[in-house]
Amino acid sequence: MEIIIDGLKQGFQLIWSLDPEILQITLVSLQVSLTALLLAGIMGIPTGAALALKDIRGKRAILNIIYTFMGLPPVLAGLIVYLALTTRGPLGQYQLLFTPTAMIIAQLLLAFPIVAGLTARAVMSQQQEVYDTAVTLGASLRQAAWTIIKESRIGIIAALTTALGRVIAEVGAVMMVGGNIQGSTRVLTTSIVLETRMGNDSRAIAIGIILLAIAFGIIMIINTVEKRSFKYASGIQIT
Amino acid sequence: MQAVFRLHKVTKRYGTREVLNVEELTIPGRKIYAFLGPNGSGKTTLLRIIALLHKNTTGKVEVLGEEVVWSQEQTLRLRRQMAMVTQTSFMFEGTVAANVAYGLRVRGQRGQEVKRRVEEVLDLVGMTSFIKNDTRGLSGGERQKVAIARALAVKPKVLFLDEPTANIDPRSSVEIERYIKIVNEELNTTIIIVTHNLFQARRLADQIHFMWDGKIIESGTSLEMFQSPQDKRTRLFLVGDAVY
Repeated sequence: MEIIIDGLKQGFQLIWSLDPEILQITLVSLQVSLTALLLAGIMGIPTGAALALKDIRGKRAILNIIYTFMGLPPVLAGLIVYLALTTRGPLGQYQLLFTPTAMIIAQLLLAFPIVAGLTARAVMSQQQEVYDTAVTLGASLRQAAWTIIKESRIGIIAALTTALGRVIAEVGAVMMVGGNIQGSTRVLTTSIVLETRMGNDSRAIAIGIILLAIAFGIIMIINTVEKRSFKYASGIQIT
Repeated sequence: MQAVFRLHKVTKRYGTREVLNVEELTIPGRKIYAFLGPNGSGKTTLLRIIALLHKNTTGKVEVLGEEVVWSQEQTLRLRRQMAMVTQTSFMFEGTVAANVAYGLRVRGQRGQEVKRRVEEVLDLVGMTSFIKNDTRGLSGGERQKVAIARALAVKPKVLFLDEPTANIDPRSSVEIERYIKIVNEELNTTIIIVTHNLFQARRLADQIHFMWDGKIIESGTSLEMFQSPQDKRTRLFLVGDAVY
């Protein structure tokens, strides 16, 4: 127990003193995970919405593949990206392995199925009434689709927050394709592994606290941005 | 005079099950037309076909003088001249004002023009004081009134009402029926109402089409239908509902 309390104390001291290395690692983590989340959102939300709304051939099979990839083990995602980016791989010429870009690609591979899959479910859970009401009020197909997506926003935000939780906390993929290089590809999760192995418990705990604080902070920002939606979400009163 | 709706040998099938089979139907317009019949008689299916929400399986449908070819351009253009209020009156998340403004916004209208029209129609249904309210807090009757205002905001030539008072109390029903009359008489809007409530049909409709098992089995004025129904099934329905 003592080791944890000491670790917590030292951890807070490290954060308070703005340790430059920890600060740098935090920034790389944020850059990688937020970029991956942004790209997953840009690609995943329209994909999920299109799968839910359009009559696409092989739709069920595509959705099943997406749902399967929602549970993709991070090391496997890392392996896939590693094989693609290694010098002998199809994208080897771009020399992206062991760069933050490789880590973004690996995290995108983890986040995209979550955003697309959960967006599809959120949109599919909307009632036919939403579409009917929109078009009978004169909405074009595109406007009606946009209305359905807007009505699904609580589910879409849940998809984004789930994806963020997945990418910011994962270690296997970034370790494999990033290499945990100090000052370049070292992120919070890989640092925790490294510091624990080296016996620097306080640093590991400090980084752990930062990781949790970042996740909490981002979720709070998203909640604040969509305050209205969450107000609606808490509309059920259980007595 | 050009009819608002004209149907010729229209059927609707789901798989092998035929749910609608209308030989001929002409709705001239400007009045209140009711489709009356028991549950499953095909009245909502018919309404959804003429409202361009469901495609007919066979036959010819004419809406506002045009034969429906189901192209995106035509469907949108025709739908924009009509509006619908359903039984559950689905409300988009947001305020009453945002809901009422929806049809205007999808038509590209913005600013004061929208604000003025929203206030105008909410005033018509006595809901002005609710303008900034969240639709979640509305009662069934209030929702239905907002839904009517939302439909009227776009100045439709035709207003479809699918069981508009099925889930609301008698007092609100009376109020809503009053607004329906006003809309028809003062705004010259053709009203197509689907109901299984024959008292409502009698109170509101100028013309009644009685449906049974996917077919229109009898049509006539409100007076004809209630005083001297010709078909045995119509008589049975009227008697049964009268007892209820």
